[in-house]
Amino acid sequence: MKRPLTSGIRLGTVALLFAACPLFAGKSEPTKIKARAIQVEMIQSDEVSLPAEFQVALYENLIHQLEKQGFQHVYRDGDRNAMRITDLVVLHSTVRRFKEGSERARQVTTISGATSITVHCQFSSPDGTSLLERDVNGKVWFFVGNLKATYDFAKKAARVAHENLSSPDHE
Amino acid sequence: MTLKWATLFAGLVLAFAGSVVSIANAQQSQGPTTVVQLTGLAGVKDNAKGILSVGNGNLHFVHGKIGSDVSATSIEDVVTGNDSQEAVGKTIGMLSMAAPYGGGRFLSLFRTKIETLTIRYRDAEGGLHGAIFTMPAGKADGIKKELLASGAHTTARESSAAASTSASPFSQEERKQ
Repeated sequence: MKRPLTSGIRLGTVALLFAACPLFAGKSEPTKIKARAIQVEMIQSDEVSLPAEFQVALYENLIHQLEKQGFQHVYRDGDRNAMRITDLVVLHSTVRRFKEGSERARQVTTISGATSITVHCQFSSPDGTSLLERDVNGKVWFFVGNLKATYDFAKKAARVAHENLSSPDHE
Repeated sequence: MTLKWATLFAGLVLAFAGSVVSIANAQQSQGPTTVVQLTGLAGVKDNAKGILSVGNGNLHFVHGKIGSDVSATSIEDVVTGNDSQEAVGKTIGMLSMAAPYGGGRFLSLFRTKIETLTIRYRDAEGGLHGAIFTMPAGKADGIKKELLASGAHTTARESSAAASTSASPFSQEERKQ
């Protein structure tokens, strides 16, 4: 009596595994863009008026977060050493939306005064060919300064870079 | 008798005026200023408190034993702005959030005015850096003037003259929040 039940369970498990195979096959990792180094250009804000300290904080935080994500060669805007690198990816960032909140309003009301920023990130080759484009946002809700939104953006943008770029040095 | 009083009065007025002028001159010359370096200086941790001064053609920041110099001529832009911060400090501010009857929220209404000084400069390899400092109100403009006198550049002044509508935040006029 027990035997047919056990073999039935086994058969069912095998059938389920077999059926699941095509599902896993569909979720295979997308091919990553080869990048031996990344060059970060200064944040642009053609459409939006952005305070100078936010522009600088976005740029500096982005560089720090990319270095934290394991990119060994992160070059700054205008760095002459980047010109010698093959497989260089250039990151252009343009601010699309910016709403400066109020730290005081956040602390007093909790629900209002959020600072939010949306930045269009374009990863391209040195000749300008676009390789990847994403909109990344940064927000700050609670008891910290407005500039913390730039840190939130930088962390998310660095994660996007980490997920989509691969260094040949690590392969 | 009247002439004597008039002379005495005029002397007092002149002495008062002289003291006002000397005070104004003293305010113009900017000494070392206690600032917080929010981010950007090479070799200095974010949010480091230190002394900022301008001398020998450099912007000089000292935090403990660590010093960092930026050549004024390498500075492409200097921008000042206004901001505010909690009067009681961050730690007490956070702790006070647990106070009953909204005491913490009441405390957070009290804020002190601060100024920001944002610079953009190039290193020896041409790489662009940015640094942000916060300091007590009334100090940033003095440092900016000293930097400009030492060879730093700013686009804020140029844009106000030309009434430019350039999109770069560095080319906009000084921001007042």
